[in-house]
Amino acid sequence: MTTSLTLAPTPVVRRWRPRPGAIVGAVMLGTVLLLTAIVPLLPGYDPMGQDLRAALLPPLADPAHPLGTDALGRDLLSRLALASAVTLGMTVLIVIMNAVLGSILGILAGYYGGRFEAFITLVSNVTLAMPVVLLLIAICAVLRPSAGLTILVLGCTWWVGYARVTRNIAATLRRQDFVVSPLTQGADSVWVLTRHILPNVWPHTLIIAATDVATIVLITSSLEYLGLGVQPPVPSWGSMIFDGQRHLAGDPWLALLPGVVMLLAVGGVQFLSQQFTAETRGGLLRKGGMR
Amino acid sequence: MLTFIARRLALAVATVLAVVTIAFVLGRATGEPGALLLPDNATQADVEALNSALGFDRPLLVQYLDTLVGLVTGDFGDSYRLRESALGLVLERVPATIELAFWAFLIGLALALVAALTIQLSGSRVLRAIVGWAGALRQSVPDFFFALLLVLVFSVLLGALPSLGRTSYASLVLPVITLATGQFVMYLRLLDAALSEQAGQDFVRTAIAQGQRRSTVLFTRMLPNAIVPVLGMAGLNLGGLLGGTVVVEVVFAWPGLGKLLTDAVSQRDFPIVQAGLVFVALAFVIVNTAVDVLVRRIDTRTAAA
Repeated sequence: MTTSLTLAPTPVVRRWRPRPGAIVGAVMLGTVLLLTAIVPLLPGYDPMGQDLRAALLPPLADPAHPLGTDALGRDLLSRLALASAVTLGMTVLIVIMNAVLGSILGILAGYYGGRFEAFITLVSNVTLAMPVVLLLIAICAVLRPSAGLTILVLGCTWWVGYARVTRNIAATLRRQDFVVSPLTQGADSVWVLTRHILPNVWPHTLIIAATDVATIVLITSSLEYLGLGVQPPVPSWGSMIFDGQRHLAGDPWLALLPGVVMLLAVGGVQFLSQQFTAETRGGLLRKGGMR
Repeated sequence: MLTFIARRLALAVATVLAVVTIAFVLGRATGEPGALLLPDNATQADVEALNSALGFDRPLLVQYLDTLVGLVTGDFGDSYRLRESALGLVLERVPATIELAFWAFLIGLALALVAALTIQLSGSRVLRAIVGWAGALRQSVPDFFFALLLVLVFSVLLGALPSLGRTSYASLVLPVITLATGQFVMYLRLLDAALSEQAGQDFVRTAIAQGQRRSTVLFTRMLPNAIVPVLGMAGLNLGGLLGGTVVVEVVFAWPGLGKLLTDAVSQRDFPIVQAGLVFVALAFVIVNTAVDVLVRRIDTRTAAA
Protein backbone atom coordinates (compact mmCIF):
# COMPACT_ATOMS: atom_id res chain seq x y z
CA MET A 1 0.00 0.00 0.00
CA THR A 2 1.41 3.26 -0.95
CA THR A 3 0.55 6.49 0.60
CA SER A 4 -0.05 9.05 -2.00
CA LEU A 5 1.24 12.33 -0.94
CA THR A 6 0.08 15.38 -2.75
CA LEU A 7 2.91 17.75 -2.66
CA ALA A 8 2.32 21.40 -2.97
CA PRO A 9 3.97 22.79 -6.05
CA THR A 10 7.51 23.84 -5.40
CA PRO A 11 7.32 27.33 -4.02
CA VAL A 12 8.55 29.76 -6.55
CA VAL A 13 10.77 32.33 -4.98
CA ARG A 14 9.02 35.54 -5.65
CA ARG A 15 11.81 37.65 -6.94
CA TRP A 16 11.51 41.30 -7.74
CA ARG A 17 11.70 41.21 -11.46
CA PRO A 18 11.72 44.38 -13.51
CA ARG A 19 9.10 44.62 -16.20
CA PRO A 20 10.47 44.91 -19.73
CA GLY A 21 9.09 48.44 -19.89
CA ALA A 22 11.18 49.43 -16.88
CA ILE A 23 14.39 48.22 -18.51
CA VAL A 24 13.60 50.14 -21.69
CA GLY A 25 12.78 53.18 -19.57
CA ALA A 26 16.01 52.95 -17.62
CA VAL A 27 18.03 52.70 -20.84
CA MET A 28 16.20 55.69 -22.36
CA LEU A 29 16.60 57.93 -19.34
CA GLY A 30 20.16 56.67 -18.77
CA THR A 31 21.14 57.74 -22.29
CA VAL A 32 20.05 61.31 -21.63
CA LEU A 33 21.71 61.41 -18.20
CA LEU A 34 24.94 60.09 -19.74
CA LEU A 35 24.69 62.77 -22.41
CA THR A 36 24.46 65.53 -19.80
CA ALA A 37 27.25 64.00 -17.71
CA ILE A 38 29.84 63.09 -20.34
CA VAL A 39 29.53 65.71 -23.08
CA PRO A 40 30.75 68.64 -20.92
CA LEU A 41 33.97 66.64 -20.34
CA LEU A 42 34.66 66.30 -24.07
CA PRO A 43 37.27 68.62 -25.60
CA GLY A 44 34.88 70.15 -28.15
CA TYR A 45 32.26 71.19 -25.53
CA ASP A 46 31.14 74.73 -26.31
CA PRO A 47 27.36 75.31 -26.19
CA MET A 48 27.53 79.09 -26.74
CA GLY A 49 30.47 79.63 -29.12
CA GLN A 50 29.34 80.81 -32.55
CA ASP A 51 31.13 80.04 -35.79
CA LEU A 52 29.18 81.40 -38.74
CA ARG A 53 31.54 79.76 -41.26
CA ALA A 54 30.47 76.37 -39.91
CA ALA A 55 26.73 77.10 -39.69
CA LEU A 56 24.09 74.44 -40.39
CA LEU A 57 26.51 71.51 -40.64
CA PRO A 58 24.59 68.23 -40.90
CA PRO A 59 25.25 65.50 -38.31
CA LEU A 60 28.34 63.31 -38.82
CA ALA A 61 29.79 65.73 -41.40
CA ASP A 62 32.53 67.21 -39.27
CA PRO A 63 34.30 65.28 -36.49
CA ALA A 64 34.50 68.50 -34.48
CA HIS A 65 30.67 68.70 -34.45
CA PRO A 66 29.35 65.11 -34.30
CA LEU A 67 25.68 66.15 -34.37
CA GLY A 68 26.20 69.16 -36.61
CA THR A 69 25.67 72.85 -35.88
CA ASP A 70 22.76 75.28 -35.75
CA ALA A 71 22.13 78.43 -37.79
CA LEU A 72 24.75 80.34 -35.78
CA GLY A 73 27.31 77.55 -36.06
CA ARG A 74 26.96 76.46 -32.44
CA ASP A 75 27.79 72.83 -31.67
CA LEU A 76 24.50 70.91 -31.41
CA LEU A 77 25.80 68.09 -29.19
CA SER A 78 27.04 70.58 -26.61
CA ARG A 79 23.81 72.54 -26.74
CA LEU A 80 21.73 69.38 -26.36
CA ALA A 81 23.73 68.34 -23.31
CA LEU A 82 23.35 71.74 -21.66
CA ALA A 83 19.66 72.00 -22.60
CA SER A 84 18.99 68.57 -21.09
CA ALA A 85 20.77 69.52 -17.89
CA VAL A 86 18.86 72.81 -17.71
CA THR A 87 15.39 71.40 -18.36
CA LEU A 88 15.84 68.29 -16.22
CA GLY A 89 17.35 70.37 -13.41
CA MET A 90 14.43 72.81 -13.50
CA THR A 91 11.96 69.93 -13.56
CA VAL A 92 13.49 68.18 -10.56
CA LEU A 93 13.49 71.43 -8.62
CA ILE A 94 9.86 72.19 -9.52
CA VAL A 95 8.70 68.67 -8.64
CA ILE A 96 10.53 68.74 -5.29
CA MET A 97 9.08 72.16 -4.44
CA ASN A 98 5.53 71.01 -5.21
CA ALA A 99 5.92 67.65 -3.47
CA VAL A 100 7.23 69.29 -0.28
CA LEU A 101 4.73 72.16 -0.31
CA GLY A 102 1.74 69.99 -1.21
CA SER A 103 2.60 67.27 1.29
CA ILE A 104 3.13 69.71 4.15
CA LEU A 105 -0.14 71.51 3.42
CA GLY A 106 -1.96 68.21 2.95
CA ILE A 107 -0.60 66.59 6.12
CA LEU A 108 -1.35 69.64 8.26
CA ALA A 109 -4.84 69.97 6.76
CA GLY A 110 -5.61 66.29 7.30
CA TYR A 111 -4.11 66.18 10.79
CA TYR A 112 -5.53 69.37 12.24
CA GLY A 113 -8.75 69.56 10.22
CA GLY A 114 -11.01 72.50 10.93
CA ARG A 115 -10.80 75.82 9.15
CA PHE A 116 -7.33 75.23 7.75
CA GLU A 117 -8.51 72.04 6.08
CA ALA A 118 -11.55 73.81 4.67
CA PHE A 119 -9.30 76.54 3.31
CA ILE A 120 -6.88 74.10 1.66
CA THR A 121 -9.79 72.15 0.18
CA LEU A 122 -11.26 75.35 -1.23
CA VAL A 123 -7.92 76.41 -2.73
CA SER A 124 -7.40 72.98 -4.33
CA ASN A 125 -10.93 72.89 -5.72
CA VAL A 126 -10.56 76.36 -7.18
CA THR A 127 -7.17 75.44 -8.66
CA LEU A 128 -8.59 72.27 -10.19
CA ALA A 129 -11.40 74.27 -11.76
CA MET A 130 -9.02 76.77 -13.39
CA PRO A 131 -7.36 76.58 -16.79
CA VAL A 132 -4.00 76.42 -15.00
CA VAL A 133 -1.69 76.06 -18.01
CA LEU A 134 -3.24 79.11 -19.63
CA LEU A 135 -2.76 81.13 -16.45
CA LEU A 136 0.84 79.95 -16.16
CA ILE A 137 1.48 81.17 -19.70
CA ALA A 138 -0.06 84.53 -18.84
CA ILE A 139 1.85 84.90 -15.57
CA CYS A 140 5.21 83.91 -17.05
CA ALA A 141 4.68 86.18 -20.04
CA VAL A 142 3.51 89.28 -18.20
CA LEU A 143 6.27 89.28 -15.62
CA ARG A 144 9.79 89.23 -17.04
CA PRO A 145 10.27 85.66 -18.36
CA SER A 146 13.27 83.83 -16.89
CA ALA A 147 14.18 80.36 -15.71
CA GLY A 148 13.84 81.51 -12.10
CA LEU A 149 10.32 82.83 -12.67
CA THR A 150 9.19 79.59 -14.32
CA ILE A 151 10.58 77.57 -11.41
CA LEU A 152 8.91 79.87 -8.89
CA VAL A 153 5.51 79.98 -10.60
CA LEU A 154 5.29 76.29 -11.51
CA GLY A 155 6.93 75.28 -8.22
CA CYS A 156 4.20 76.99 -6.19
CA THR A 157 1.13 76.10 -8.22
CA TRP A 158 1.26 72.39 -9.09
CA TRP A 159 0.88 70.98 -5.56
CA VAL A 160 -2.84 70.25 -5.47
CA GLY A 161 -2.42 66.56 -6.34
CA TYR A 162 0.01 66.04 -3.45
CA ALA A 163 -2.16 67.98 -1.00
CA ARG A 164 -5.30 66.02 -1.82
CA VAL A 165 -3.70 62.60 -1.44
CA THR A 166 -1.67 63.38 1.68
CA ARG A 167 -4.63 65.11 3.32
CA ASN A 168 -6.75 61.99 2.92
CA ILE A 169 -4.02 59.74 4.34
CA ALA A 170 -3.30 62.03 7.26
CA ALA A 171 -7.02 62.36 8.04
CA THR A 172 -7.32 58.56 8.17
CA LEU A 173 -4.17 58.10 10.26
CA ARG A 174 -5.22 60.72 12.78
CA ARG A 175 -7.79 58.32 14.24
CA GLN A 176 -5.51 55.26 14.37
CA ASP A 177 -4.32 53.87 17.70
CA PHE A 178 -0.63 54.24 17.01
CA VAL A 179 -1.12 57.93 16.40
CA VAL A 180 -3.47 58.57 19.31
CA SER A 181 -1.57 56.59 21.95
CA PRO A 182 1.68 58.60 21.92
CA LEU A 183 -0.46 61.72 22.33
CA THR A 184 -2.02 60.31 25.49
CA GLN A 185 1.47 59.65 26.82
CA GLY A 186 2.53 63.23 26.40
CA ALA A 187 4.09 63.29 22.96
CA ASP A 188 3.56 66.54 21.13
CA SER A 189 2.14 66.96 17.65
CA VAL A 190 5.57 67.53 16.09
CA TRP A 191 6.70 64.11 17.35
CA VAL A 192 3.58 62.40 16.04
CA LEU A 193 3.69 64.16 12.71
CA THR A 194 7.35 63.40 12.03
CA ARG A 195 7.53 59.93 13.60
CA HIS A 196 4.14 58.44 12.74
CA ILE A 197 2.40 60.38 10.00
CA LEU A 198 5.27 61.29 7.70
CA PRO A 199 6.68 57.76 7.25
CA ASN A 200 3.24 56.61 6.09
CA VAL A 201 2.73 59.51 3.74
CA TRP A 202 5.97 59.99 1.83
CA PRO A 203 5.81 56.81 -0.29
CA HIS A 204 2.57 58.14 -1.79
CA THR A 205 4.19 61.52 -2.38
CA LEU A 206 7.01 59.76 -4.18
CA ILE A 207 4.65 57.95 -6.54
CA ILE A 208 2.86 61.16 -7.50
CA ALA A 209 6.23 62.87 -7.98
CA ALA A 210 7.42 60.13 -10.33
CA THR A 211 4.40 60.53 -12.59
CA ASP A 212 4.56 64.31 -12.25
CA VAL A 213 8.06 64.56 -13.72
CA ALA A 214 6.81 63.89 -17.24
CA THR A 215 3.97 66.42 -16.93
CA ILE A 216 6.28 69.12 -15.63
CA VAL A 217 8.85 68.54 -18.40
CA LEU A 218 6.10 68.88 -21.00
CA ILE A 219 4.71 72.08 -19.44
CA THR A 220 8.15 73.64 -18.96
CA SER A 221 9.19 72.92 -22.51
CA SER A 222 5.88 74.27 -23.85
CA LEU A 223 6.62 77.48 -21.96
CA GLU A 224 10.15 77.46 -23.38
CA TYR A 225 8.74 76.94 -26.86
CA LEU A 226 6.65 80.10 -26.38
CA GLY A 227 9.82 81.95 -25.34
CA LEU A 228 8.94 81.92 -21.63
CA GLY A 229 11.49 80.34 -19.33
CA VAL A 230 15.19 79.92 -19.96
CA GLN A 231 16.39 82.89 -21.99
CA PRO A 232 18.95 82.78 -24.82
CA PRO A 233 21.81 82.16 -25.23
CA VAL A 234 21.25 79.34 -22.71
CA PRO A 235 19.59 76.53 -24.68
CA SER A 236 16.54 74.50 -23.68
CA TRP A 237 14.66 71.75 -25.49
CA GLY A 238 11.65 73.95 -26.18
CA SER A 239 13.60 76.93 -27.49
CA MET A 240 15.89 74.68 -29.60
CA ILE A 241 12.82 73.14 -31.26
CA PHE A 242 11.36 76.60 -31.80
CA ASP A 243 14.60 77.77 -33.46
CA GLY A 244 14.80 74.59 -35.52
CA GLN A 245 11.26 74.99 -36.79
CA ARG A 246 12.40 77.69 -39.25
CA HIS A 247 14.81 75.21 -40.86
CA LEU A 248 12.34 72.33 -40.96
CA ALA A 249 12.38 72.04 -44.74
CA GLY A 250 16.13 72.05 -45.31
CA ASP A 251 17.69 70.99 -42.01
CA PRO A 252 15.05 69.07 -40.06
CA TRP A 253 17.58 67.58 -37.61
CA LEU A 254 17.75 70.95 -35.82
CA ALA A 255 14.20 70.46 -34.53
CA LEU A 256 14.25 66.67 -34.50
CA LEU A 257 17.30 66.05 -32.30
CA PRO A 258 16.11 68.03 -29.26
CA GLY A 259 12.71 66.38 -29.68
CA VAL A 260 14.26 62.92 -29.70
CA VAL A 261 16.27 63.68 -26.56
CA MET A 262 13.10 64.92 -24.87
CA LEU A 263 11.26 61.79 -26.00
CA LEU A 264 14.03 59.62 -24.49
CA ALA A 265 13.93 61.48 -21.18
CA VAL A 266 10.17 61.78 -20.73
CA GLY A 267 9.43 58.34 -22.17
CA GLY A 268 12.12 56.85 -19.94
CA VAL A 269 10.61 58.42 -16.85
CA GLN A 270 7.12 57.27 -17.84
CA PHE A 271 8.14 53.67 -18.47
CA LEU A 272 10.09 53.64 -15.20
CA SER A 273 7.24 55.09 -13.17
CA GLN A 274 4.90 52.47 -14.60
CA GLN A 275 7.06 49.97 -12.74
CA PHE A 276 5.80 51.50 -9.49
CA THR A 277 2.20 51.85 -10.48
CA ALA A 278 2.08 48.53 -12.31
CA GLU A 279 -1.37 47.12 -12.62
CA THR A 280 -2.01 43.71 -13.99
CA ARG A 281 -5.00 43.84 -16.21
CA GLY A 282 -5.76 40.57 -17.88
CA GLY A 283 -7.69 40.07 -21.04
CA LEU A 284 -11.20 40.53 -19.88
CA LEU A 285 -13.66 38.93 -22.15
CA ARG A 286 -11.16 36.35 -23.28
CA LYS A 287 -12.01 33.15 -25.01
CA GLY A 288 -12.52 30.45 -22.45
CA GLY A 289 -14.53 32.61 -20.12
CA MET A 290 -13.85 35.30 -17.66
CA ARG A 291 -10.65 35.47 -15.82
CA MET B 1 -29.40 67.78 -4.98
CA LEU B 2 -30.23 71.48 -4.60
CA THR B 3 -27.62 72.00 -1.90
CA PHE B 4 -25.13 70.22 -4.12
CA ILE B 5 -25.89 72.56 -7.02
CA ALA B 6 -25.71 75.57 -4.72
CA ARG B 7 -22.31 74.51 -3.37
CA ARG B 8 -21.08 73.78 -6.86
CA LEU B 9 -22.22 77.25 -8.04
CA ALA B 10 -20.47 78.90 -5.08
CA LEU B 11 -17.27 77.11 -6.09
CA ALA B 12 -17.75 78.27 -9.67
CA VAL B 13 -18.12 81.88 -8.55
CA ALA B 14 -15.04 81.58 -6.31
CA THR B 15 -13.05 80.20 -9.24
CA VAL B 16 -14.03 82.98 -11.60
CA LEU B 17 -13.26 85.55 -8.88
CA ALA B 18 -9.82 84.00 -8.39
CA VAL B 19 -9.07 84.19 -12.13
CA VAL B 20 -10.28 87.79 -12.31
CA THR B 21 -8.12 88.69 -9.31
CA ILE B 22 -5.04 87.02 -10.83
CA ALA B 23 -5.69 88.79 -14.12
CA PHE B 24 -6.13 92.11 -12.31
CA VAL B 25 -2.92 91.70 -10.30
CA LEU B 26 -1.03 90.73 -13.46
CA GLY B 27 -2.39 93.81 -15.23
CA ARG B 28 -1.15 96.09 -12.46
CA ALA B 29 2.16 94.23 -12.02
CA THR B 30 3.23 95.22 -15.53
CA GLY B 31 3.17 98.88 -14.61
CA GLU B 32 1.03 101.72 -15.84
CA PRO B 33 0.08 101.55 -19.51
CA GLY B 34 1.08 105.15 -20.29
CA ALA B 35 4.79 104.41 -20.05
CA LEU B 36 4.40 101.13 -21.97
CA LEU B 37 2.24 102.38 -24.81
CA LEU B 38 3.60 105.81 -25.64
CA PRO B 39 6.87 106.26 -27.51
CA ASP B 40 10.01 107.03 -25.51
CA ASN B 41 9.96 110.73 -26.39
CA ALA B 42 6.49 111.29 -24.89
CA THR B 43 6.36 113.96 -22.19
CA GLN B 44 5.51 113.18 -18.60
CA ALA B 45 2.24 115.10 -19.05
CA ASP B 46 1.25 112.86 -21.99
CA VAL B 47 1.94 109.73 -19.98
CA GLU B 48 -0.13 110.97 -17.07
CA ALA B 49 -2.96 112.07 -19.36
CA LEU B 50 -3.15 108.60 -20.89
CA ASN B 51 -3.00 106.92 -17.49
CA SER B 52 -5.89 108.99 -16.21
CA ALA B 53 -7.83 108.49 -19.44
CA LEU B 54 -7.53 104.75 -18.88
CA GLY B 55 -8.45 105.13 -15.23
CA PHE B 56 -5.08 104.14 -13.81
CA ASP B 57 -4.83 107.18 -11.54
CA ARG B 58 -7.66 105.98 -9.33
CA PRO B 59 -7.09 104.04 -6.08
CA LEU B 60 -6.38 100.33 -6.64
CA LEU B 61 -9.49 99.25 -4.77
CA VAL B 62 -11.71 101.39 -6.99
CA GLN B 63 -10.03 99.94 -10.08
CA TYR B 64 -10.57 96.42 -8.76
CA LEU B 65 -14.24 97.03 -8.02
CA ASP B 66 -14.57 98.58 -11.45
CA THR B 67 -13.12 95.38 -12.96
CA LEU B 68 -15.66 93.30 -11.04
CA VAL B 69 -18.52 95.49 -12.24
CA GLY B 70 -17.14 95.16 -15.77
CA LEU B 71 -17.20 91.39 -15.34
CA VAL B 72 -20.94 91.49 -14.69
CA THR B 73 -21.75 93.98 -17.43
CA GLY B 74 -19.37 92.35 -19.90
CA ASP B 75 -17.25 95.49 -20.18
CA PHE B 76 -13.54 94.72 -20.07
CA GLY B 77 -12.44 98.04 -21.54
CA ASP B 78 -10.96 98.72 -24.95
CA SER B 79 -7.86 97.13 -26.37
CA TYR B 80 -4.90 99.51 -25.88
CA ARG B 81 -3.68 99.09 -29.44
CA LEU B 82 -6.78 98.47 -31.52
CA ARG B 83 -9.12 100.84 -29.65
CA GLU B 84 -11.89 98.29 -29.90
CA SER B 85 -13.87 96.45 -27.26
CA ALA B 86 -11.56 93.77 -25.80
CA LEU B 87 -14.44 91.37 -25.31
CA GLY B 88 -15.49 91.86 -28.93
CA LEU B 89 -11.99 90.97 -30.13
CA VAL B 90 -12.00 87.87 -27.93
CA LEU B 91 -15.44 86.72 -29.09
CA GLU B 92 -14.36 87.19 -32.69
CA ARG B 93 -11.63 84.56 -32.20
CA VAL B 94 -13.65 82.08 -30.18
CA PRO B 95 -15.20 80.10 -33.07
CA ALA B 96 -11.77 79.18 -34.48
CA THR B 97 -10.63 77.83 -31.10
CA ILE B 98 -13.88 75.97 -30.47
CA GLU B 99 -13.57 74.41 -33.92
CA LEU B 100 -10.17 72.94 -32.99
CA ALA B 101 -11.11 71.89 -29.47
CA PHE B 102 -14.45 70.40 -30.48
CA TRP B 103 -13.11 68.19 -33.28
CA ALA B 104 -10.11 67.15 -31.22
CA PHE B 105 -12.34 66.16 -28.32
CA LEU B 106 -14.88 64.35 -30.49
CA ILE B 107 -12.38 62.42 -32.60
CA GLY B 108 -10.16 61.59 -29.62
CA LEU B 109 -13.07 60.30 -27.55
CA ALA B 110 -14.66 58.36 -30.42
CA LEU B 111 -11.40 56.63 -31.36
CA ALA B 112 -10.70 55.86 -27.69
CA LEU B 113 -14.15 54.31 -27.36
CA VAL B 114 -13.63 52.15 -30.44
CA ALA B 115 -10.17 51.08 -29.31
CA ALA B 116 -11.23 50.32 -25.72
CA LEU B 117 -14.23 48.25 -26.87
CA THR B 118 -12.09 46.37 -29.40
CA ILE B 119 -9.55 45.56 -26.70
CA GLN B 120 -12.29 44.29 -24.39
CA LEU B 121 -14.09 42.24 -27.05
CA SER B 122 -10.98 40.63 -28.47
CA GLY B 123 -9.27 40.23 -25.10
CA SER B 124 -6.04 40.66 -27.03
CA ARG B 125 -3.03 41.37 -24.90
CA VAL B 126 -0.94 42.19 -27.94
CA LEU B 127 -3.39 44.88 -29.04
CA ARG B 128 -3.47 46.42 -25.58
CA ALA B 129 0.31 46.37 -25.37
CA ILE B 130 0.71 48.00 -28.79
CA VAL B 131 -1.83 50.72 -28.03
CA GLY B 132 -0.31 51.22 -24.59
CA TRP B 133 3.22 51.68 -25.90
CA ALA B 134 2.11 53.97 -28.72
CA GLY B 135 0.15 56.03 -26.21
CA ALA B 136 3.10 56.29 -23.84
CA LEU B 137 5.29 57.49 -26.73
CA ARG B 138 2.71 60.10 -27.76
CA GLN B 139 2.52 61.35 -24.20
CA SER B 140 6.31 61.60 -24.04
CA VAL B 141 6.44 64.45 -26.52
CA PRO B 142 4.69 67.79 -26.10
CA ASP B 143 1.98 68.85 -28.54
CA PHE B 144 4.20 71.31 -30.31
CA PHE B 145 6.84 68.69 -31.16
CA PHE B 146 4.25 66.16 -32.35
CA ALA B 147 2.80 68.96 -34.47
CA LEU B 148 6.22 69.59 -36.01
CA LEU B 149 6.60 65.90 -36.83
CA LEU B 150 3.23 65.99 -38.60
CA VAL B 151 4.25 69.13 -40.50
CA LEU B 152 7.54 67.51 -41.47
CA VAL B 153 5.84 64.41 -42.85
CA PHE B 154 2.61 65.75 -44.35
CA SER B 155 3.59 69.27 -45.40
CA VAL B 156 7.33 69.20 -46.06
CA LEU B 157 7.90 65.65 -47.32
CA LEU B 158 4.52 64.79 -48.88
CA GLY B 159 3.31 68.31 -49.56
CA ALA B 160 -0.22 67.07 -48.93
CA LEU B 161 -1.53 69.36 -46.19
CA PRO B 162 -1.12 73.03 -45.31
CA SER B 163 0.99 73.76 -42.23
CA LEU B 164 -0.11 77.33 -41.49
CA GLY B 165 -3.26 79.37 -41.14
CA ARG B 166 -6.95 78.64 -41.39
CA THR B 167 -7.81 78.69 -45.05
CA SER B 168 -9.70 75.50 -45.84
CA TYR B 169 -10.90 72.31 -44.23
CA ALA B 170 -7.50 70.80 -45.06
CA SER B 171 -5.83 73.24 -42.67
CA LEU B 172 -7.91 71.76 -39.84
CA VAL B 173 -6.37 68.31 -40.27
CA LEU B 174 -2.91 68.68 -38.72
CA PRO B 175 -3.85 70.76 -35.65
CA VAL B 176 -6.82 68.51 -34.95
CA ILE B 177 -4.72 65.33 -35.26
CA THR B 178 -2.16 66.85 -32.89
CA LEU B 179 -4.74 67.58 -30.21
CA ALA B 180 -6.92 64.51 -30.85
CA THR B 181 -4.06 62.02 -30.39
CA GLY B 182 -3.35 63.51 -26.96
CA GLN B 183 -7.04 63.25 -26.06
CA PHE B 184 -7.21 59.72 -27.45
CA VAL B 185 -4.43 58.42 -25.19
CA MET B 186 -5.97 59.91 -22.08
CA TYR B 187 -9.51 58.72 -22.73
CA LEU B 188 -8.33 55.27 -23.79
CA ARG B 189 -6.52 54.84 -20.46
CA LEU B 190 -9.55 55.97 -18.48
CA LEU B 191 -11.97 53.81 -20.47
CA ASP B 192 -9.74 50.75 -20.36
CA ALA B 193 -9.28 51.07 -16.60
CA ALA B 194 -13.02 51.58 -16.04
CA LEU B 195 -14.06 48.71 -18.33
CA SER B 196 -11.46 46.38 -16.83
CA GLU B 197 -12.77 47.15 -13.38
CA GLN B 198 -16.32 46.45 -14.54
CA ALA B 199 -15.27 43.15 -16.10
CA GLY B 200 -14.29 41.78 -12.69
CA GLN B 201 -17.67 42.58 -11.13
CA ASP B 202 -20.11 39.88 -10.08
CA PHE B 203 -23.00 41.15 -12.16
CA VAL B 204 -20.90 40.84 -15.28
CA ARG B 205 -19.90 37.28 -14.44
CA THR B 206 -23.51 36.43 -13.70
CA ALA B 207 -24.67 37.84 -17.00
CA ILE B 208 -22.03 35.83 -18.85
CA ALA B 209 -22.97 32.71 -16.86
CA GLN B 210 -26.60 33.18 -17.88
CA GLY B 211 -25.46 32.90 -21.44
CA GLN B 212 -25.74 36.48 -22.53
CA ARG B 213 -23.55 37.37 -25.42
CA ARG B 214 -20.30 39.09 -24.50
CA SER B 215 -21.01 42.02 -26.78
CA THR B 216 -24.44 42.48 -25.19
CA VAL B 217 -22.93 42.48 -21.71
CA LEU B 218 -20.25 44.91 -22.79
CA PHE B 219 -22.60 47.40 -24.41
CA THR B 220 -25.61 47.23 -22.09
CA ARG B 221 -24.00 46.54 -18.70
CA MET B 222 -20.36 47.54 -18.60
CA LEU B 223 -20.23 50.57 -20.88
CA PRO B 224 -22.92 52.67 -19.15
CA ASN B 225 -21.09 52.26 -15.83
CA ALA B 226 -17.66 52.86 -17.31
CA ILE B 227 -18.59 56.02 -19.18
CA VAL B 228 -19.53 57.99 -16.06
CA PRO B 229 -16.05 58.50 -14.56
CA VAL B 230 -14.76 59.27 -18.05
CA LEU B 231 -17.41 61.95 -18.39
CA GLY B 232 -16.33 63.49 -15.09
CA MET B 233 -12.71 63.56 -16.23
CA ALA B 234 -13.69 65.07 -19.56
CA GLY B 235 -14.98 68.18 -17.80
CA LEU B 236 -11.80 68.61 -15.76
CA ASN B 237 -9.70 67.93 -18.81
CA LEU B 238 -11.24 70.79 -20.77
CA GLY B 239 -8.76 73.16 -19.12
CA GLY B 240 -5.87 71.03 -20.31
CA LEU B 241 -7.35 70.90 -23.79
CA LEU B 242 -7.63 74.70 -23.87
CA GLY B 243 -4.06 75.09 -22.63
CA GLY B 244 -2.88 72.67 -25.31
CA THR B 245 -4.89 74.53 -27.93
CA VAL B 246 -3.01 77.73 -27.12
CA VAL B 247 0.35 76.16 -27.97
CA VAL B 248 -0.96 74.32 -31.02
CA GLU B 249 -2.51 77.54 -32.33
CA VAL B 250 0.89 79.19 -32.09
CA VAL B 251 2.56 76.33 -34.01
CA PHE B 252 0.03 76.40 -36.84
CA ALA B 253 -0.58 80.18 -36.80
CA TRP B 254 -4.24 79.35 -36.18
CA PRO B 255 -6.21 82.59 -35.71
CA GLY B 256 -7.90 81.55 -32.46
CA LEU B 257 -8.08 82.66 -28.87
CA GLY B 258 -4.65 81.27 -27.96
CA LYS B 259 -2.93 83.16 -30.74
CA LEU B 260 -4.78 86.34 -29.75
CA LEU B 261 -3.82 85.92 -26.09
CA THR B 262 -0.13 85.16 -26.69
CA ASP B 263 0.09 88.10 -29.09
CA ALA B 264 -1.71 90.38 -26.64
CA VAL B 265 0.60 89.27 -23.84
CA SER B 266 3.71 90.09 -25.83
CA GLN B 267 2.24 93.48 -26.80
CA ARG B 268 1.17 94.20 -23.19
CA ASP B 269 -2.39 94.75 -24.42
CA PHE B 270 -3.87 93.96 -21.09
CA PRO B 271 -7.63 94.40 -21.57
CA ILE B 272 -7.50 91.60 -24.17
CA VAL B 273 -5.54 89.29 -21.85
CA GLN B 274 -8.01 89.99 -19.06
CA ALA B 275 -11.08 89.49 -21.22
CA GLY B 276 -9.61 86.31 -22.74
CA LEU B 277 -8.60 84.76 -19.41
CA VAL B 278 -11.97 85.51 -17.86
CA PHE B 279 -13.83 84.20 -20.91
CA VAL B 280 -11.87 80.92 -20.85
CA ALA B 281 -12.34 80.59 -17.10
CA LEU B 282 -16.08 81.17 -17.44
CA ALA B 283 -16.45 78.63 -20.23
CA PHE B 284 -14.36 76.14 -18.28
CA VAL B 285 -16.28 76.63 -15.04
CA ILE B 286 -19.67 76.40 -16.76
CA VAL B 287 -18.79 73.14 -18.52
CA ASN B 288 -17.26 71.73 -15.34
CA THR B 289 -20.27 72.56 -13.23
CA ALA B 290 -22.66 71.18 -15.84
CA VAL B 291 -20.67 67.94 -16.08
CA ASP B 292 -20.57 67.55 -12.30
CA VAL B 293 -24.33 67.98 -12.01
CA LEU B 294 -24.85 65.63 -14.94
CA VAL B 295 -22.61 62.92 -13.48
CA ARG B 296 -24.47 63.26 -10.21
CA ARG B 297 -27.81 62.80 -11.95
CA ILE B 298 -26.65 59.79 -13.95
CA ASP B 299 -24.75 58.03 -11.19
CA THR B 300 -26.84 58.17 -8.04
CA ARG B 301 -24.07 56.45 -6.07
CA THR B 302 -22.04 59.68 -5.99
CA ALA B 303 -24.89 61.35 -4.12
CA ALA B 304 -24.05 59.26 -1.06
CA ALA B 305 -20.44 60.39 -0.98
